[in-house]
Formats: sequence, structure tokens, C-alpha cells
Amino acid sequence: MQVIFARVAPAGERIRSPGSVVDTSPYGAEDLAVLELRSVTKTYDGKSTVTALSSVSLRVEAGEMVAIMGPSGSGKSTLLNLMGGLDIPSAGEVLVAGRDLSRMSEEDRSLFRREKVSYIFQAYHLMPTLTAAQNVALPLHLAGHSRKEIESRVEAALSSVGLSPRASHLPDELSGGERQRVAIARALVTGAPLLLADEPTGNLDSVRGEEILHLLQRIHSEGGTTIAMVTHDSRAAAACSRIIQIRDGRLESDGL
Amino acid sequence: MTGAWKATGCEDGLKFLLRTLSFSYARHHVAKTLLTLLGVIVGVATFSSIRGAQTTLVSGIRSTVDRMAGKAQLQISAEGGVPEELLETLRERPEVKAQSPVIEQIVVPKRGELGSLLVMGVDLLGDREMRDYGFEGDDADIDDPLLFLAQPDSVAISRSLAEKAGLKAGDTLVLKLPAGERPVTVRGLLTPRGFAEAFGGNLAVMDVYAAQTLFGRGRRFDRIEIRLPEEMTLAEGEASLQALLGPGTKVETPARRGSQLEKLIYNFVVGFNISSGFALGIGTFLIFNAFTVAVNRRRRDIGTLRSLGATPRQVQALFLLEAAVIGLLGSILGVFAGRGLTQSMLDMMGQTTETIFGVSDASRAQMPLETILLSVVLGLVASLAAAWGPARVASKIPPTEVFAKGAHQARLEDASPLRLASGAFLLLSAILLPSAGWLTRNALVFPVLILSAAGCIVLIGPLARASMRKIAPFLSRVSPVAGQLASDSLLSNPRRTSGSILAMTISLSFVLGLGGYMGATKAVMVRWMDDILTSDLYVRASASLVRPDFRFPAELKAELESIPGVRAVESYRSAQLEYRGEQIQIASIEFAQMMERTRHEYLEGTNEEMLQGVAREGKCAVSDNLARKLGIHKGDILVLSTPSGEVRFEVAAAFRDFTADRGTVFMDRSTFLKYWKDDRVDTYDVNLHPGADAGAVRDRIRQKLSGRLPALISTRKEFKAEIARAIDSFYALIRITVFLALVVAFLGIVTALLISVVERTREIGILKALGALGKQIRHSIVLEALLLAFTGLLLALPLGDLLARFMETSVAETFAGWRMPHRYPWELLGQLLVALPAVSALAAWVPARQAVRTKVTEAIEYE
Repeated sequence: MQVIFARVAPAGERIRSPGSVVDTSPYGAEDLAVLELRSVTKTYDGKSTVTALSSVSLRVEAGEMVAIMGPSGSGKSTLLNLMGGLDIPSAGEVLVAGRDLSRMSEEDRSLFRREKVSYIFQAYHLMPTLTAAQNVALPLHLAGHSRKEIESRVEAALSSVGLSPRASHLPDELSGGERQRVAIARALVTGAPLLLADEPTGNLDSVRGEEILHLLQRIHSEGGTTIAMVTHDSRAAAACSRIIQIRDGRLESDGL
Repeated sequence: MTGAWKATGCEDGLKFLLRTLSFSYARHHVAKTLLTLLGVIVGVATFSSIRGAQTTLVSGIRSTVDRMAGKAQLQISAEGGVPEELLETLRERPEVKAQSPVIEQIVVPKRGELGSLLVMGVDLLGDREMRDYGFEGDDADIDDPLLFLAQPDSVAISRSLAEKAGLKAGDTLVLKLPAGERPVTVRGLLTPRGFAEAFGGNLAVMDVYAAQTLFGRGRRFDRIEIRLPEEMTLAEGEASLQALLGPGTKVETPARRGSQLEKLIYNFVVGFNISSGFALGIGTFLIFNAFTVAVNRRRRDIGTLRSLGATPRQVQALFLLEAAVIGLLGSILGVFAGRGLTQSMLDMMGQTTETIFGVSDASRAQMPLETILLSVVLGLVASLAAAWGPARVASKIPPTEVFAKGAHQARLEDASPLRLASGAFLLLSAILLPSAGWLTRNALVFPVLILSAAGCIVLIGPLARASMRKIAPFLSRVSPVAGQLASDSLLSNPRRTSGSILAMTISLSFVLGLGGYMGATKAVMVRWMDDILTSDLYVRASASLVRPDFRFPAELKAELESIPGVRAVESYRSAQLEYRGEQIQIASIEFAQMMERTRHEYLEGTNEEMLQGVAREGKCAVSDNLARKLGIHKGDILVLSTPSGEVRFEVAAAFRDFTADRGTVFMDRSTFLKYWKDDRVDTYDVNLHPGADAGAVRDRIRQKLSGRLPALISTRKEFKAEIARAIDSFYALIRITVFLALVVAFLGIVTALLISVVERTREIGILKALGALGKQIRHSIVLEALLLAFTGLLLALPLGDLLARFMETSVAETFAGWRMPHRYPWELLGQLLVALPAVSALAAWVPARQAVRTKVTEAIEYE
């Protein structure tokens, strides 16, 4: 299986669009997945200010598989968004290989995500009008890869999640578990060293959820990918090497 | 796997996204895609058809003048025609190598389907020096040249006309002339090249002396064409002949004559340019709305793309690429649609220019390549410009949007004082700019419209929100559930609401402003007609009020006066004149007699001063528009070129008058006769004894003139109605613009509500889950439409009034010199108050249906 994951795109491999402004990776293979949050606070301003995260500090080492747990509204998803550069903190720093994501421009953060982070969502977020293969190919198209390269990587990614026979199917024609596997293939295809998963088993029954967890464990163990996973599921958390508990926007506990 | 993969092709990222995501969005939202496409098509079709018709008309006039002129280098003309004797004077002059007299008459054949026909009377023996045609060989086919000349009813027609009409040599063609129907006989065919192509090929040639009789020119020609000797320059020839013939006779090049004709219709053409610009604006607005809907609908997809690494620029580029594809496709379809509309536009323009300005052209509508290219480029630019804002909004959608649940509610901060101040400054600049006085015509109109639009864009958002907050509570009282839902929906999304109200306000401002201007103009013109046109009967020799092609002899006055029932007759005579570079009109009548029955509104001077000065002292009076345009005041001296040379006329008064948009100089008939030495009459104003039956007197006049002179006899009511129709045809274009503005208002409500329903899908689902009935939801959407429409109308009231005032004063003055008294369009407002609820309910129909059909389970899941 390791062979398959390596063929998709080896962890740490640089994926750049032609003429990309990012020439040197802030998160290269040699300094893989050193992720650090320093006193991170995130507030949302509306009629009243809501504090989603309050002065959170943590460090994720390369190759770790971390579960982030906590009750609804505790700030788990916000933490995940900040870790992947989807959002920026109101205060504090999110450092990846020593570079502060909050200081990057929107454009650079996009390129950073494209190269270094992949996501798996609870609701899959597949494009409903694209086939499974086209959905998996999407990030590679955004990065401007050649057709040949895209073709081989997509084939490998779909095969690694056992979905080659369903490549030409639209998401509507797939089961929940299959959709999540397509989403995993899409996350794998770029070879990003950091995989963030938001309740990846939340919409699945226990059997399909189990399958997905095994798949993630394989990706972690065979591909060396660093994984941070938000979950409510204690079985999912148990599959991780470290569990971070969040409550009311604060770090409650951090350990096994 | 491979097969599925191949479907994506070898494309770069954007092309892939366009081909997959965008096209599939279009496939799944056919109605919205068609609406977007319709925006471009409507805009480009209207623009290209107006532009095509205008280009055809102007270039048709120019090319007709050029082709008719042939090899002629100079043309000699005079008000009322060039006397025959001038041919003798010119024959021996060294400046004249060849000369040819010409009479030109546009006639309508009895077979109306053939369209207007230009009849040229030329000296058939001498004209080959001027025009490139002949009556023998390949050029023309005349069986018997001698018979042709001997018979005064002979005409040679172009082969294209002969083909169209199915005529051959020996056939008769009946022409409708002021004197009645007259048959002419086809005795020759002209090859359609050069000269014969003029007037779209609808051309007939006859002997100039036969034309004199047929068209009642007496012993005059319309012009004499001149070729100069090779050694003489054009300037030398023109100067020498002008010096010889004096100021009452005009010596000019054919090109200058063409440009004079174009100048006559300039104001009209400007109106078309503004309307075509407005049409493109409409297209831009519709595309903007459609893209706003698309961005709102696709927020989650955009969020997904962003989380996968799509940069903001890629997202923006994707939407712009979509706009470019839609713009290009819509522009091409729009040009095709425009081609179909061009002929109707040209017919409408042609009728108006012929009625109002006496300038006509029978060209077939064409759409030149440059118009096609311009339309496509502008359609493309309009699409990109319209999509720019929504594309930027899309590019700013954060990747976290992928997690967002429920409807997106665009938040808008309260307007800053700086924004309000800038908006007020822009609007104030637009209001004050005309009074600065240093800009005229287009240079005034376009900046004012742009500044106003910019001011509205900045100000209307905050004003709309403030108005909505005031109005919304009333809605809840009217209908507690649906009203509350409607006002919540509008107030919770200020950006969408502001955009819709902006479109609504601008459209309704146009409707009120232009409609108000038309109403005010018509009211003042009707009042003027009531004051001036007080005679009982009007006897005319020519259907054209502006450029009569037949005039009565002066002696007819005594004959008319002798008819039982007639109390007095006045002889109205007009003439065209160039004064300080402007084509103006001279109007003469028995002034003292006229002033007994008319009333005038004076800009300067009094009734007594005008009566004394014009009727008794040989002074002149000027129309208010001429006075304003050229800065003429009472007591000024006008130096006019008359056939008797340059004459100085003192201005006795200036008064409101709508005889000509170029301005009119009035004088007593005795003064006109003294200097113009032409006693022919355009119209006899006949005043009856009290109690005399106008119908009976009309019959007696008809009897008297029957078979002798042409006569169009109208009662006062009919004459006024005819002038009112001419005024209406001038405003045909404004009516089209008002109609387009109403279309925008309608589509503005439709798209705003569609966005509203899309954004509130989840909310609607929840409401249905909680027991809201389809009727209540439908009701709330209709109320939303009503609230949008009435808020737009409320804001449009002052803006429309400002636009009407701008049109009535600055625009009317800069183009024609007139100033119309302001009159609020209450009737129009009343019509809008009745029509708007119906239009709003209609506009809400599709969105309401979509909302009612929303499935609860799907809606609740909608993210």
C-alpha cells in the first residue's frame, strides 16, 4: 500500500503552479509539519463580539496524528481553519516551519494551502457536477499540472482509496462512504504533507466510518502524512497518537 | 477510468473550471443563464440597430449628395430656387466650364410599397458633363431619345427600381403630387452604378424643364451645378462666383451641402446616441444582477475551490471568463437581432427626419462592419464591466465559507459620513455644472449624466436603507406574517436591497424625468399652438411644413378673400438662411393682421414694440431659442444675406416660439417681399366671419382650386393635430428609452427577488417546516417586490424631477435654445402608482413560485 501512496505524490513533494510566486517552501520536506500556534485568539465581530478561541498555544510535530475534540461550539473547527491557513487569527501567531501564516497575503496563503495542506470535510464538499475523477483532479488543475501528470496521479489516488471503478460517477451516484473516499483521494492527490480533517466520519454509519478511519491511519503510517482531525467520535480519537481537548475556546488538555 | 479521465481534456486550470463548473452551472440554471444572455442581447441589439440605422441614415444622406453631385464641383442655390436667367449669366463666365440645372423632388408613388422615389430633373443633353451616365450603350436603355425629350411625362428609372416595380419601357408609374396624382411614362432604364445608386436606387430622371412644370417650380431650378476649368482651384471658383452672384445666392461644394443636411439632424442623432448608450447600460445592469445571483448561489463551491488552493485571482478570472463567454455569445446574437431591428429603426428615424427636418434618404438598412465590431466589443466590455464587481466579491469569499451553513447574508456597514459627503458632492456637481455655462451639448450632457449616476450609486444605498427602515414597520401592520417576513428579508440583506433599489430608482427617475420632460414640452407647445394657430383654415400647397416643395402664387390671396365666409387671409412664407454658421428660418406674414388674433410670451420687448417695430418699421423679431443660442437681444442688429444683398435688421422683440429648432427670424411680409423679391406663399391662413361654417368654406376653396393648384386644407383642429403628430414623432425615441427603463425596473425586481429566494432557501425551508403556508410565502415575496418598487419610486421622485428640469432647461437650451417651463408629471406619477403594484406582482411571480416549490428537507440542508 505504501507504494500506492508514494506514487500518488510523495509527502513533502513540492507542487507548484508554473510561474508560482512561491519558490521556496515554508514547509518543505526537510522541515515537515512543524506547526505551532502561539497565543492564538480568534474573535468574530457582529452585534456582539464572540470569542471562538482564546489564547491557544500548541505544537504539532511532523508525522503526528492528532485528534481535536470538544463539545459543539468549543472552537475545534476554528482551530482547524487556523492551522490550515483558511482563516487568520485575531491575535497570536500560526507558524508553519517558522513562517507566520497570518502575515502572508491572501494569494500566498492560497498557494501555501495548495502545496502543503489538504482537507477532508464532514459533508465531503465534492463538486456535484464533476465526476469522481474530475473532483480528484481539481486541485491539480488549479496548480496547472500537465495532463499526463494529472492523469497518473488521479488514477493512483482513486486506486489507493479503492474507487477506480467508480471514477466516472457523479457524487450523486455514490454512497456516503464512497463520497468521503473521493474526498480523501482529492486530499491525497496533491501529496500535501498536512492533512486536516473536519469530522470525517460524522456523516457515516459505523461500518463506513471505520473504513475511513483505517484509510486515514494507512495514509498516516505509510505516507508519513501529518494529520489533524476534529472529531466527536471517541473511536476516531482513539486511532490518533495524541488528543487535544478544547472547551469554550481554550485548550483543556493535550495528550494521550 | 481512462475514459472518464479523458473527458477533462488537456486544459489549463481555468479552462477546466469553465468547461466543467461554469458550463454545468449554466446547464442547471437555464433560466438564469438565458436572463444573463438576454441582458447582452437586448443591450447589443438595441445599440447596434440604433447605431446601424443612424449610420445608414447619415451615410445615405452623404452618399446621395455625393452621387447626385457626380462630377459637379460647385452648386449654386438660392432660397426659393435659382431663376432660369442665371444660366445665361453663367454661360459666358470664365469660371464655368460646364453648367447643369437640377430640380430634385422626393415623391411617393401611388404604389406605396415601392417607398419614396427621388425624381431628378436634369438637362438631358448637357448633364453628361456632370454625371457619369448615358442614355445609350451599356449605361442606359432608351428606345427613342427624341421621343423621350419630346414627351414631358418621360422618365428614365434605375434598373433596380424597374425590377422591384416590375416596370418596363412604355409602362406608366403614377406619382402622388400636391396637385394630385400624375402619371409618368418609363422611356428609359439606367444602369445602377454611381448616380443611379443614389437614394438606394429609388431614382427617376426626367427633363429639367418638364420637372419645372410637374413640380410647380415656375421658371426656377433648385440649383445649378458647375464644373470649373482645370486651371482654376475650387476656392478661386467659389469666391469668384459668390462675388458675382451676391449674398442672396449660395455657392458651395456638394460636401458642404451634405454636411449642412447632417447638421440639421444633429440634435436628433445625439438623442439616438444617448438612447443607444442607455440600452447598453441596461444590458450591463442585467448582467450584473445575473452574476450577483450566480456568485451567491455558488458561494459554497467557491469556498471549496478556495480551500483546495484556488487563489482569489483564479476565482475572479473564472467569473470574468464566464462573462467574456456570455458577452461574446450575447453580442453575436445581439448583432443578429440588431440587424433585424435596423430597418424598423431606420424607417422610424427616416420618417421623423423627413417630417421634422425635411431631410430624407431611402437607403436600405445596413449594418457596416465597424458597427458590428463596435457592438461586439462594447457588448464584451459591458459584460466584463458588469461582472467585475460580482467577480471581485467572489474572489473575496473566504475559504471558510465551505463550512458555512445556512444562507449567506452579505453584511454592509453603515455608510460613512465621507461616503455621504462624496455622494452629495457628486450630485451637487451634476446639478450645478449646467449653470457654470462653460460646457455645451454632448460635453455637458454626458458629464452631468455620469456625475448623477455616480452620485446615485454612492447615495442611494444609504438612503434606501433609511427609507426601508421607516417603511418596513407599516408592512408588518398591513400583513403581520407575510409583511414581517418581507421586511425582515429586505432589511437583513442591505447590499442586495440597495442594489435593487438603485436600479429601480435610476429606471424610474428616467421614466419620470424623460416622461416629465415630454409632458412639459408638449404642454408648452400646445399652449403655443393655442396662442398662435388661431386661424380657422390653413391652405397649404405642400405636405411638408418644413421644406415646401410647392408654393402658391401671391395672387391666390385675393381669390381666397373673395370666397363667401372668408373675413381675412394672411400669407405665410418661410425661407432657409445661413446666419453665423447656423441654418435658421425666416418667417414672414402680414404681421399687424396676425397680431390681432395671436398672443405671444415675450422674452424681451412687448406686444406694442413688436407690432410697431416689425409691422411698421421693417424691423424683425426673433424666436426665444435663436435669441438664447446666439445671444441676441432687443435692439441688436442682425445682418442677413438676402437676394438683394446684406441687409441690417433691428431686433424689436424676442418671444417664445417653436417654429424651428434652429431658430426663427420673423418679419412682415412687406419686408420679406422687399428683400427676397419672391412673392410665393407656403400657407394661407384663412380667417372666417363669425358664424361661418369652416367645412362649407373649405369645400368652396377646394372647388376654386380644383384641377388648378394643389391644396391641402386643414381646419385649425386638424392643423394642430398634424403638428402634434410631428412633435410626437420627434419624441418616439424618448418613448423607446422610457420603455427600456421600465423593462429594467421590471427585470430589476425579478432578479432581486430571485437572489432573495436563493439566499433565503434555508430560511424558507425552516418556515415551511414550522407550518408556513405556500400562500404566506408567496404573499411575502409579493410584498417584498412592492416594498422595493415603492422605495425606488420614493427616491425617484426628486431625482426624476431633477432630470426633467435638466432636460427642460439645460438640454433643451444647449441643443435648441429653448427653455421649457417646468411642470411636475402628476399624470405619469398617477399611472406609475397604478402600474407599479401590478408590475411588481408580476415580477414576483417566478421567484414566488420557486420559493413555494422549495422542498423542506432539501432547503434545510441547503448550505
